[in-house]
Amino acid sequence: MKIGYKWIREFVDLDAGALEAAKALTMSGTEVEGAVRQGVPGQVVCARILEAHRHPNADKLFVCTVDAGSGPLQVVCGAPNTREGMTSAFAPIGTDLGGGFVVKKAKIRGVESFGVLLSEREIGLTDDHTGIMEIEAVCEPGAPLGEALDLEDWVLDISVTPNRGDCLSVIGIARELSVLFGCPLKTPEFSIQEADIDVGSALSVEIVDTRGCPRYAARFIDGIVIAKSPFTMRRRLFQSGVRAINNVVDITNYVMLEYGQPLHAFDSTLLAGPAIVVRRAREGERFVTLDSVERVLRDTDLLICDREKPVALAGVMGGENSEVLPGTTSVVLESAYFDPDGIRRTSKSLGLTTEASYRFERGVDPGIQVEAANRAAYLMERHARGRVYRGVIDVNHLQDTRAAITLSAGTLERVLGVQPPAEGEVERIFTALGCEVRRIEGGWSVSAPPFRPDVEREIDLVEEFVRIHGMDKVTPELPAFRPTPGGVSRPSLRDLRRSLAAMGFNEVITYSFISPRWKDFFPGDSLRLVNPISDEMSLMRTSLVPGLLGALERNRRLQTRDVCIFEIGRTFHPVEGAGLPREEERLGVLMSGMRFDQHWSDQPRQVDFYDLKGLAELLIPGVTVRPSDLPHLESGRQGDLVLDGEVIGCLGAVHPSIRTIIDASEDVFVLETVLGPVIERRWKGLAEIPRFPFTWRDLSLVVDEKIPYADIVREVESLGIGEIRKVAALDVYSGEKLPRGKRGVTIRITYQSLERTLEDAEISAWQERVISRLGESLGITLRG
Amino acid sequence: MEKQLEELQRTFLEDLESIRDPEQVEQARIAYLGRKGRLTTILRQMGSLSPEERPRIGALANSIKAKMEQALAEVSARIASRQSVQGIDVTLPGRVLRRGSVHVINQVMAEIEDIFRDLGFQVASGPEVEDDYHNFEALNIPENHPARDMQDTFYFGPGVLLRTHTSPVQIRVMESQGLPVRIIAPGKVYRCDFDITHSPMFHQVEGLWVEEGITFAHLKGVLYEFAHRCFGPEVPLRFRSSFFPFTEPSAEVDMGCIICRGAGCRVCGNTGWLEILGCGMVDPEVYRFVGIDPHVVTGFAFGMGVERIAMIKYGIDDIRLFYDGDLRFLLQFA
Repeated sequence: MKIGYKWIREFVDLDAGALEAAKALTMSGTEVEGAVRQGVPGQVVCARILEAHRHPNADKLFVCTVDAGSGPLQVVCGAPNTREGMTSAFAPIGTDLGGGFVVKKAKIRGVESFGVLLSEREIGLTDDHTGIMEIEAVCEPGAPLGEALDLEDWVLDISVTPNRGDCLSVIGIARELSVLFGCPLKTPEFSIQEADIDVGSALSVEIVDTRGCPRYAARFIDGIVIAKSPFTMRRRLFQSGVRAINNVVDITNYVMLEYGQPLHAFDSTLLAGPAIVVRRAREGERFVTLDSVERVLRDTDLLICDREKPVALAGVMGGENSEVLPGTTSVVLESAYFDPDGIRRTSKSLGLTTEASYRFERGVDPGIQVEAANRAAYLMERHARGRVYRGVIDVNHLQDTRAAITLSAGTLERVLGVQPPAEGEVERIFTALGCEVRRIEGGWSVSAPPFRPDVEREIDLVEEFVRIHGMDKVTPELPAFRPTPGGVSRPSLRDLRRSLAAMGFNEVITYSFISPRWKDFFPGDSLRLVNPISDEMSLMRTSLVPGLLGALERNRRLQTRDVCIFEIGRTFHPVEGAGLPREEERLGVLMSGMRFDQHWSDQPRQVDFYDLKGLAELLIPGVTVRPSDLPHLESGRQGDLVLDGEVIGCLGAVHPSIRTIIDASEDVFVLETVLGPVIERRWKGLAEIPRFPFTWRDLSLVVDEKIPYADIVREVESLGIGEIRKVAALDVYSGEKLPRGKRGVTIRITYQSLERTLEDAEISAWQERVISRLGESLGITLRG
Repeated sequence: MEKQLEELQRTFLEDLESIRDPEQVEQARIAYLGRKGRLTTILRQMGSLSPEERPRIGALANSIKAKMEQALAEVSARIASRQSVQGIDVTLPGRVLRRGSVHVINQVMAEIEDIFRDLGFQVASGPEVEDDYHNFEALNIPENHPARDMQDTFYFGPGVLLRTHTSPVQIRVMESQGLPVRIIAPGKVYRCDFDITHSPMFHQVEGLWVEEGITFAHLKGVLYEFAHRCFGPEVPLRFRSSFFPFTEPSAEVDMGCIICRGAGCRVCGNTGWLEILGCGMVDPEVYRFVGIDPHVVTGFAFGMGVERIAMIKYGIDDIRLFYDGDLRFLLQFA
């Protein structure tokens, strides 16, 4: 909410400057997000148009003689409202109007012009650019405009928290300032010259839904002449970002900003009756609002109707069928209190938020309807030549049932940790806030004013107290603590991150929502957002791989091709019948490009499957890999990660069609695993450290191509020779020297005993057993 | 003569010290062991010795000669190795292992965790896909309350959403754990908002301390301790009254701008202050949802955006840098 500071000052006797006031508001919970100074360039002056003649060479231009305080000046002006005798704003030659616009002597269609007559928009006062500014006040030609009209001001941009509907008004902000600075609040004084016709003779009001609309006040005004509002009113509306329309509409908006009470004016000649009936809409009922949109309503929405038809969507927006237009001469002025929840429901379901609905949702002052109506009627009398009918119709079903709240001194101390405040301080604060306060045994009894529906519990009083007393007056104190039981601590996750970083991997964090383009490669159910940022971010990931691929894609576009990255994060898997999905913590790793940075001594090498497999073996002791068939990986170069018989993840080369999508010409390898086995360390007891030497034997085998290496190891291990420490692959070779369909595999078997030094003869015997087992089971022969 | 030999050995060793190049080695060899060298000169006097002494002195002389020759050889080898042209070019680049990095958000998160661990907090977690009850209702944000507008929520369907803050972890912990509760809950949160300072996914650290006797003064104490450990012992804080549905009284906490030290700059929008977190005393209404008696127990809660802290700490001005995986950014935090 934006408000001009001068307007606020009309409601409170305050010496403080705008910035000082802004700071006090901010510290007490009504944050001022910006304070902008508004002034008029010093050289802009008041000027009187002494003469105005048609320009000889242009129909739409006037040649004026202007008195700007220093002798008559010739000025060419194109504004349609230019006329002799008017006073306007004038910028002489040399005036800097900001935005690089400096006034120069000009020749317009052959006539010289010694300055510019200005519109309100050109001076930044309003958005009116229909003609040059018309100054009604009496002022001396040549007087600086800013001083003559007292235009120096600040606009405060105030962010009001949802609990403080009462602050959505000039009076609300003024009230806060009066509490904070301890100076009196001033309410406007005015009196209406009522006509001798009773409002009851011109209008009837009936509330059918008293829950949705507990109070409806109305006044009747005729004789209205629709015109432009006075300058000050238009300027204040402009400062608040409200567009000026005409005097009647502007007055309703102006009073809404002043009192926080939304008002609506109906053209009474368009109301059947004229009568007002407040009722619920029928399910599916249609209604065209002021913005010319036809709305389909639900039976929870509230309508303002006349005898025959709906004329306004209560508390949200008026209807097109009863709008105040330039020809309007009489109006029904509505000032009502609507149920906040109901207005919010309607506003939400229609997706329509207005200044009015915003205030009603947050709760307007239930005691101010008549006063606001009077204020608006007074302004219409004054600025729209209105004749105000005698009396106000006020149908009021509101009852203030709120009891006084007890605030105990002990609670203040128990919640805030402060010493009891000075005698009288609590009373001072709550009285200033508009409460009734009474000292009682051990505390205070406080009754909150009607405009503070948010103050209903003791804790609310504690908050009000500390908010005004000042949070800075509470001395910080570190509490002592006893250890708490249980809890999850995850230092091992941090170790994993550091280990991977030490191995040259960079951690990335990618969005949990991914594009549907990945759906084909990652089948299975996924969660879809109803209201995503974009379609590209609409599915919850079921794999970390898409995010890693996205990061690779981006790096490749930025000319970084050697990419080793990882992510630790959750994937989301819908569970049939359960409310919430299963969330799984996973580790994903991606490698692409050269394995090592180019070095002068080495041959460069691309990363390959075994680089990533090696990482898996290092991170997850005991993991094995078996061939798999997953759609996001390339057939024949992929495998499941298996631990203790359970599939915990997968790894492999990214499918070529994915590489096409992300424009990666080189191989990309990815690994994904559930996080648990990577960070859990299962201690199996201390192993004995061998004291006797080990020895090894190499075997060059000729193996059928189709036999996986793991089978060879498994056969060797299945012999049950306890002294075999390790079987390692030394070389894998295929080529012309071998028979078709065979490959050469050289393995090294390492033997060691915990009890003694092994002898040649027993090792040779074991070797024979190995050779014959491999021959029998797998048809493996020794290379010649 | 024995004395002469010993004297010779001593001066030889002295001379040896100053030898720096092969030429000096040769000079020393000639001076001591050459045909006109000092040793030879001494040995020429052998004739004057008695036949009994001759073998003993002869043996001594021989052993000294051998030692001298060996010493000269060693010196010469040492000099040779020092001057060898067959050494390696030590200025060529080494075989460096590629550097990796832990994401800066997780580094900052770990730092925050460490600080609160030192203050006795434990780490808790909860689901990122939440239900309406834990994310809103139990936090005193009923349906149709304007406070729901404070956070733009991603929905999957009725009642299922992406958590908009880590506060639901508060509820889950209070539901499942006895008092006292002293936890922080770091994690990802989501809001429909996307520009250079807002990301639809970001990280928060939630804190909660519920125990008899906990006050607003304690909240201030803990947060001062945090700020001083995270940003330096001199940094000022200010507590501004504010509104959150699940705390009362509520405050927003500003830290003196660490860039301009309060003088006013672009980063702090000329205010001299940077907003770093929101906090407050747990609202009694929240206790009602988890069955704690607010007349006996008090507590505080706070929540901070990790990205915000990281951006302040490292002068990062575009939040999107955290999520696009650009290695040129990430490696700066290696």
